[in-house]
Amino acid sequence: MSKPSGTNIALGVWTTLVFLFLFAPIIVIGIYSFNGGRLLTAWDGFSLEPFTAIVDRPSVRHAVAVSLQTAVVAALLASTLGTLAGMAMARFPGRWTGPFTLLLLLVSVTPEIVDGIALLPWFVTLGQDWSLLPFNNGYVRLVVGHSLFATAVVTYIVRARLIGLDASLEEASADLYAKPVATFFKVTIPLVGPAVLAGGLLAFTLSLDNTVISSFINVSGTTSWPVYVLSSVRSGLKPEIAAVSTILLVFTLLVLGLVAWVLKRSGSSVTDTMAAS
Amino acid sequence: MRDRAAKRLPGFVLAVPAWLWLTAFFVVPFLQIAWFSLGEKPGMFGSHSNAVMSLDRYAEAFSPTFFTIFRATLWMSVLGTIVCLVIALPAAYFMAMKVPAHRRGLLVALVMVPYWTSFLIRTIGWKVILSSEGVLAGFLTDVGLVADPHDLLNTRGAVLLGLIYNYLPLMILPMYVAFDRVDSALGEASKDLGAGRIRTFFQVTLPLARPGIIAGVILVFIPMMGDYVTPAVLGGAKGTMVGSLIASQFLTAQNWALGSAMAIVLILLTMLIVILAITLMWVVGWLVHRRSRLVVGTVPPPDPRLHNKEVATA
Repeated sequence: MSKPSGTNIALGVWTTLVFLFLFAPIIVIGIYSFNGGRLLTAWDGFSLEPFTAIVDRPSVRHAVAVSLQTAVVAALLASTLGTLAGMAMARFPGRWTGPFTLLLLLVSVTPEIVDGIALLPWFVTLGQDWSLLPFNNGYVRLVVGHSLFATAVVTYIVRARLIGLDASLEEASADLYAKPVATFFKVTIPLVGPAVLAGGLLAFTLSLDNTVISSFINVSGTTSWPVYVLSSVRSGLKPEIAAVSTILLVFTLLVLGLVAWVLKRSGSSVTDTMAAS
Repeated sequence: MRDRAAKRLPGFVLAVPAWLWLTAFFVVPFLQIAWFSLGEKPGMFGSHSNAVMSLDRYAEAFSPTFFTIFRATLWMSVLGTIVCLVIALPAAYFMAMKVPAHRRGLLVALVMVPYWTSFLIRTIGWKVILSSEGVLAGFLTDVGLVADPHDLLNTRGAVLLGLIYNYLPLMILPMYVAFDRVDSALGEASKDLGAGRIRTFFQVTLPLARPGIIAGVILVFIPMMGDYVTPAVLGGAKGTMVGSLIASQFLTAQNWALGSAMAIVLILLTMLIVILAITLMWVVGWLVHRRSRLVVGTVPPPDPRLHNKEVATA
C-alpha cells in the first residue's frame, strides 16, 4: 500500500472535505427538524414540535400519502416494463436493440423540465380534447410521469444482471425439453429476481423524490410531497418540512440498504449496478 | 438455427410494452411541443395555436431579454462543471488508488447517499445554511467578508454553489470507476521506466481514465443546463436559469408556443456544447498522444525539461 507521503495526506484531507461538503446540508436538515421556531431557516431552540405538528396538519399527511401511493404504483409499473425490456435486450438482441438503446438513452438524458412541460399539454390533449378521462386524474398523471426514467433504470439493471449471468442455465432447461415459456418462468425469472427487486426499490425512491415533472402535471387535490415542499419554498418553509424529510431520509436509507443487501446476497456488485443507473 | 429463429419473435415482443409506453409518454409529447413551437399564442386566453406556422417563437427565444438568461445558464453550467471536475478529480483518484480495497465500497456508498436523498431537500438544506438568520451569514458579516447577511442567498453565486453541490456525486462516481479500472501495473511500469510520479499521473493514469472523465462531464453538464429546482430554491429573482424561464411560460404566462421553442433551444444548445466539448477533449487527447508516442528506431529529441532526470537515471 502507498506510503503516507505529503501528497497522499493532502489528497486524504481533500477527500474528507469533499465528504463533509456532500453531507453538510443533509446534517443541517436533520438538526433543523428539531427547530422550535415558526420558520425553518430561523433557529429558535430545540423542540419536538415539528414532529408532532405532522399529526396536526392534514395537508402534510395527505401530500406524503399521495407520494407513497404513487411511488408504489410507479415502481410496480416500471419494474414490469423494465424487467421485460431488460430480459429482451440481454437474451434476444437483434436489429431492434440499437434504436431501443437510443430511446432509453434519450429518456435518461433529457432534462426533467422538458419531460414535464411536454407531458402537461399531452395530458390536456388526451384528457380534455380526446376525452380519455383517466388522464385528468392526478394519480394517473403522477404515475405516468414517474414511470419514464424509472423504466429506463430498471431496464439497465436487469440487462446488466442477465448479461453477467451465463445463458447456459436457460440452454440446459431447453435441452431438457422445457418449452421456451416454461424456461422463461421457471429459470429466467428467478435468476433476475434480485435485479428486479433492486430496480423496483430504486424506482420507488426516484418517484418519491420527483419534483420537476410532478410540479408541471400537478392536479389540485393530488399534490405530491415534493410539490407541496416546493410551493412552500415560496410561501414560507416550516420546520415540519424538515421533520418529514428526516423521516423520509431514514426510510430511503433503509430502502437503499435493503437494495445493497439484496444485491450483495445475490452476488452482483452493488457499485456496478448502481453506477449503471 | 431453427431454435434461434423461434427465439427471436418472443424476444422482441418482451420489449414492446416498454417501447410503446415510452413512445406514448415520452416521444409523442416531445413531438407535440416541437409542433407547438412553430405556432403562436392566440390572444389573452389561449395557450397555443398552430393556425399560422412560423419560426417567430425561436426568434423570440433568441431576443436579448431571454437570451441573456440562456447565456447566464450556459456560463453557470460550464463553470459549475469545471469546478465539479476540479473538486472530484483528486477525491476520485484518492478513493480508487490510495484507499485500501476493502474500504472503497463504503466510500462509494457514502458518495451515493446524498445522490439518492431528495434533491429538493438537500437544496433547501443549503437555503438554511445560507439564510440571513443562519450561523454562516452571521459569521461572515462579523468577520467583514460580507456587507449584509442577506447577500448570500438569492444570488447567482448561491445557485452556482447549489449546482456544484447537487451534481458532484455524478462526477465522482464515473471518475472513481475509471481510476479503479486503471491497471496499477501500468503505473508501476511507468515508474520503472524512470517517469516521476507526476509524469506517470499525467501521461499514464489520466489518459487511461479519460472515458470516465468525459462521462462525468456529460453527466454533470446536461442536467445543470436544465435545472429548475436549484434556481427556484436558491436563486430568487437574480439567479434565474433557463429552467425557470421555460416553467414560467407554461405555468404563469400560458404561452406554450414560446415555452416549447425555449425547451427545444435548450436541448439543441446543450447538445451543441456536449459535441464541442467531446471534440475538444478528443483533439487534446490526440495532440498529447502524438507528442508522447513511442518512436521505434530513431532516438527522439530529448525534452529539455526532463534532461536532468534522464541523465540521472541513465
